[in-house]
Amino acid sequence: MMKNDGGVRVFWLLLLFLLYTRGKSFSVPGKPTLTRCRSPEKETFTCWWEPGSDGGLPTTYKLYYRKEGSEKEYQCTDYHTGGKNSCFFNKNDTSIWVNYNITVVATNALGQALSDPLNIDVYFIVEPNPPENLNVTIQNDKGWPFLRASWDPPTKADTRSGWITLIYELRIKLEEEDEWEIHHVGQQKVFNIFGLQSGGTYVIQIRCKPDHGFWSEWSDDVQVVVPNYFPNKRSAWVLLMVFSGMVFLILSWLLHLNSRNLKHCILPPVPGPKIKGFDQKLHKSGKSVDAFKSLEVPDFPHHTFSKSEDFLVEYIEVYVPEEQELMLEKSNNLHNGCLKSESSVSDCDSGRGSCDSHTLLLDKSGHQTNTQDSQTDEQKHGEALQGENLAYTHQDMVSPDMSAGRVKTWPSVFSPLPQNRSTVDQTSSIEIAKQHCLSDSLLPSDFLTPYHSPPGHCTREHLGSNYWEFDFGNKQPHLTQPQTEACHQIQAHSEININTGVKAEPAAHKFPTPRSNEYVEVQRINEEDSVVLRPVASNYDKLFEMQQGEDYSRVKGVDSDNVLLLLQKEAMEEEMNMCPCEQLTDTTGAHYTRFARSPEKPTACTHPTPQPLEERVVNGYVDTATMFTMPPY
Amino acid sequence: MLAPESKQLLLVLDAEVLCSALMCKAVDIPDLLDRASQRSDKLHSLSNMLALELESDLPAIGRVTMPRPAMCHTSSLLTPNDKEQALQVSESTLMSLARSLLKAWQYPVGVLSNSANLLPHQSKASISNKLQELQEHSRNLEDGLDVLSGKMGPTAQILSTLPYRGGSDLGQDKMSKLINFNFLLSCLRRDSHKIDSFLKVLRCRAANMQPNLC
Repeated sequence: MMKNDGGVRVFWLLLLFLLYTRGKSFSVPGKPTLTRCRSPEKETFTCWWEPGSDGGLPTTYKLYYRKEGSEKEYQCTDYHTGGKNSCFFNKNDTSIWVNYNITVVATNALGQALSDPLNIDVYFIVEPNPPENLNVTIQNDKGWPFLRASWDPPTKADTRSGWITLIYELRIKLEEEDEWEIHHVGQQKVFNIFGLQSGGTYVIQIRCKPDHGFWSEWSDDVQVVVPNYFPNKRSAWVLLMVFSGMVFLILSWLLHLNSRNLKHCILPPVPGPKIKGFDQKLHKSGKSVDAFKSLEVPDFPHHTFSKSEDFLVEYIEVYVPEEQELMLEKSNNLHNGCLKSESSVSDCDSGRGSCDSHTLLLDKSGHQTNTQDSQTDEQKHGEALQGENLAYTHQDMVSPDMSAGRVKTWPSVFSPLPQNRSTVDQTSSIEIAKQHCLSDSLLPSDFLTPYHSPPGHCTREHLGSNYWEFDFGNKQPHLTQPQTEACHQIQAHSEININTGVKAEPAAHKFPTPRSNEYVEVQRINEEDSVVLRPVASNYDKLFEMQQGEDYSRVKGVDSDNVLLLLQKEAMEEEMNMCPCEQLTDTTGAHYTRFARSPEKPTACTHPTPQPLEERVVNGYVDTATMFTMPPY
Repeated sequence: MLAPESKQLLLVLDAEVLCSALMCKAVDIPDLLDRASQRSDKLHSLSNMLALELESDLPAIGRVTMPRPAMCHTSSLLTPNDKEQALQVSESTLMSLARSLLKAWQYPVGVLSNSANLLPHQSKASISNKLQELQEHSRNLEDGLDVLSGKMGPTAQILSTLPYRGGSDLGQDKMSKLINFNFLLSCLRRDSHKIDSFLKVLRCRAANMQPNLC
């Protein structure tokens, strides 16, 4: 009966059990996992594991371990000290520098599961407890407060014997802040903190770590309030303002002292134009003559001449067509002022008519248009002229760098010589001469400017824009073969130039000073490329007797004073400026006006250099201003 | 050329002789121990870094087949295994143990250093550098401890021989090389910790006048 009761009980229990667990599936437990082991002081350690699924059944966990060098299996004795799913190894069970092989076994009604074994050694699982008894006090250092933090090592850690060596770390922040300020302390147990905010509330924490192990957790907060040691924050601002104000005052004072120097540094004065010897004051006062007197060359050649009446201030006028003038003006920007002043002047008495007279070279009339056309082209090319193999080189008419003498020619008329000189054609040779002359003529700044002639010379108003002055240099050494050629060509060129572009203005140019007003006008150009000049209408009668149709001016040469010596005829020997290349003159019949170069006289276009003008009238217009520099067109 | 530390220690030795003759204060053994501890600390740090670096790259199969720590060539040396034992051991014995361990590793560290370049590892250059540095530290510490032990009595002079039977190379194939390298480094790691611990215990024992140190 009793047995039956027992069996019935078991049956009911089973039934109840089954009813209780109805609907659930049962299985063996899942594999547990050993998560970590830690030793706080190198004397004990604790291991924790993570259980797997329990399989629906109550599961028990057991920890087994083996020690190095022994096959004996030990079982954990303390599952509680470390918390749930833990095993605590007490001092007796703990050995250092001994390898532990630990396994956790999960068991339930249906089976068991083994975890993966874990091999540990106490020496590398050390993680101490946080330091204890953190104490922060406020100390005073000559009125400036600072914090002194002190603490104790965790109780269990035996640092005294040296078994465990701990190093500490402190962190501090203001209560309202988020960022901590970390201080590495080392082995000491006291630390001072400076640089505190007056009246601020600080929070301090401490932690420790063994020499070869893991950091402990941070200790509990310790709060401390710093007293107000800074009397008044505002006073600091006041000090700062006063100091900056003083600095500002000093700086401004220094600036004021050196204002002039600074001004000169930053804004230097613009230099004004200056001409040597030119007295601005005199000029302003109205005594223009006096003003320019200082610029005169003292021993101008014309003083050497005994008779001033031997001088004939005559000019060869060449009429420059409007378009050419414009081109010139455009091309020579530097001399715009001169040009404008020139062109504005009326030249009713410029003697332009002589050029335009019927006595112009009718033989060459056909060439006129050509030459005129070619002039335009040449003019265009004028600026692009390259240095010839002459002694004279120039880049354009504007450039003043003449090595030797300079011939003032007419940019509009003259054009740069084409490189090809082989053409013997008269027309082309004339053109060549034209260009050549242009090339020779480097009268940049002194071209066509009204010059302040010495008293008796033509005044500015009488000079038209077409005045050309030939500047004859006396550079005998510079004479070369090409130069003679050039002179020859220049002569021809000049013939042409004189012919071309000259309006028919019968008005005779009366020069006040010359005794014998003898104007030459170009009659024609002969076969030898000689300019056939003849006297103009005013003195025509006088001179006409002398020569009939064979009037020409012959340049004897240039004397030492750079005066163009022209000969009226072989018979008539006048003092003229001689072309340096006269030696090649064909004395038999080649009469020509040769132009040599004159020494360079660069001047500003606005102020014509009042060099004495050597004016000669031979048989027509000869522009013999040797020293005179006229602004170029 | 003597290492700077050994030079220092030699000077200390000379000074001590002078001092004892003149009845002056003893040479700064705590200071020497402090320096020795610092060097051993550095030694262990290096070996720790190396061991962890190589262990991370070891495949699972390597971990399984790796020899047990009991197979370390220095395992025959009996050393204290817990604090009580360690604190009961005399200073001389501790010094002797430390020196023996250190000496036992002189040759294997050389083998490791030489084999580092042949190691099939991606960062073998840095490993080689660390090993060379480790070797230097080991030599310096050895010299220093030789001097120190001279002050500590005859027991400190006893050196246990712990022969290394691993051979000059670490294996023929790549896997065995890696496994052996790892194994040796794990042994070195532990032994260097032992040395460091012993010296630090000695340091604290000698530092009666510097309580802040311990």
